[in-house]
Amino acid sequence: MKEATTSGGASAGANDPRQPTTARPYAPPKLSSQDLPVDYAGFLAVVFGVVGVMMHYKVCSWIAIIFCAQSLANMKNFENDLKQLSMAFMFAVMGLVTNYFGPPRPGSAKR
Amino acid sequence: MAPPTRIRLPRATLILILLALHLSLSLAAQFEGFDSDELPHAAAADPASPDDDDEGLDLDVDLPPPPPISVSVSSPSPPVTTTTTPANPNPTTPPNPTPSLDFWDEDEFEGIPVPESPTSDPSSTPAESAPSDPSAADAAEAPPAPPRTPAELLRAFSIEIACVSFLICFLLNYFTGKKQNEAIALAWATKFATRDSIFDKNFSLLGTGDGKDTPLLLKEGQDVFKFYASGRRFCQGMLATMEMRARHDLLSKLLELVFPRKDTITFEVVMNDESMDHVMVAVARKKAAKTMQKEERDLQKFASVLASAPAGKKWVADELSVVAESKEVAGDMISEAVLDQVLGEKAFEKLGKWFISLHFSDQLAGSYKKVLSFKFVLPDANNMAEMTKLVALVPFYIDLIGRYKLSSHARSKTDAARTKAAQEAFRELQGVRQETLLRKKAEKKKLMEEAEAKLSAEVLRKKEEKERNRQMKKGAPKVKMLRS
Repeated sequence: MKEATTSGGASAGANDPRQPTTARPYAPPKLSSQDLPVDYAGFLAVVFGVVGVMMHYKVCSWIAIIFCAQSLANMKNFENDLKQLSMAFMFAVMGLVTNYFGPPRPGSAKR
Repeated sequence: MAPPTRIRLPRATLILILLALHLSLSLAAQFEGFDSDELPHAAAADPASPDDDDEGLDLDVDLPPPPPISVSVSSPSPPVTTTTTPANPNPTTPPNPTPSLDFWDEDEFEGIPVPESPTSDPSSTPAESAPSDPSAADAAEAPPAPPRTPAELLRAFSIEIACVSFLICFLLNYFTGKKQNEAIALAWATKFATRDSIFDKNFSLLGTGDGKDTPLLLKEGQDVFKFYASGRRFCQGMLATMEMRARHDLLSKLLELVFPRKDTITFEVVMNDESMDHVMVAVARKKAAKTMQKEERDLQKFASVLASAPAGKKWVADELSVVAESKEVAGDMISEAVLDQVLGEKAFEKLGKWFISLHFSDQLAGSYKKVLSFKFVLPDANNMAEMTKLVALVPFYIDLIGRYKLSSHARSKTDAARTKAAQEAFRELQGVRQETLLRKKAEKKKLMEEAEAKLSAEVLRKKEEKERNRQMKKGAPKVKMLRS
């Protein structure tokens, strides 16, 4: 292919294809918040966090924390995702705190 | 699986964390709302021996409740202490509630058994109270059998152990995966975008900055890297987007075991408006070409899958199929050189694993209409040279398409198709506009009717009222009033 490119260049008069005058700097495409891909991890973190708090399942709270970590690792737009993420994290921590420090629930002491 | 000594570690750290949290919580609760002159007393009471503490407690409890002090010193403190002390799960409250009792207003908090706690206090010294906390916390979820074997502990904390170890793995994987992705992107950049490489020879501006001393790659997230180049004849700019596998994300990695993915790179070249004729060609593997033809709007509208090769020409490898608007354009685009180097039977055997698709279009739906896009698979960091021929396609096609002019015969056909499409689009737009207009009108009408109905109802009501008044007047006996 390299020969092909050079031959293509040669047919144009062997001149440099570069044109510094036409260079334009990079303009990042403007994305609205709706166009962004859905943050499944953040969503799942919220769901598991809420379930963990409501039902006193500490497994759910732990899973929510794991999904929080995933969402954090995949974060692209910092400010946008942080709201959801912080909410999910709050729920997860709240679930864990009520689970470990809260009064033992009669009947479901071991979950 | 893992030796018990390793498993104990997270459990011990967990207990430590719990203990620290608990202690800090209870301490914070007790030192809230204190005044500076009360603090020394509390500090003195803290390290005191249990007997001293007890005396102080008795003294304070025996004293009649001093309402003026409690009101004047700090009014918000009693609610704070009351909310926290009953919430404490363990019956052995630490022995420094003495200062809090100063603010205790018995009239206000009747029936709350906090004043009883000092009686149980002497049993536990302040030193003892600290280790008693985790046992209380443990008792909430496990039977309080004091000697527990490691196996039992393992079972009791299996969830915590699993989750914490997973989180640790996740964290380690995050850093290693991030490094791997960065290594691949850097290898690509050093191969193709440094001095005297393909892109340096073809573009005058490399990188997303102003071209002086800026980094070549733009990192968007841990698995997306972008490379921008501009300043070349026939085109406005080129954006290469590398989408790596989510190596930094352990969960996605596990998911990729089921649905495997590859690192891909997409070059998008925005052509100058005047330097691209009516070219619409796409090349991909047979299945992918079919889906492209169905899903890409421009291909769907103008192009179709070419069933056979143009007569008397070598053609692309059997695995590939070409979607194009006209056979002539496709034949000119897929020239002898391209077939020889990349798309022909022989070359494709070697390069096929790195090729995904080509798509040239002058009618792309989006912000730019005339775009060439090339999609390839990225080799790993050590074999970057294998895709050199594929990358060389990019400048080659920019020049080829930039110079290409359709023959008059093909041109008349494509022109007709484009005007037809433009008319359709215009009609569609008009239809939409009319629809919105109609809807607006209907809404307006509805509103007017509603207003009218309201108005008429009001008028009716007024009329009725007047009528009733008249009736009343008629029915009522006539009484004359005298004004004095």
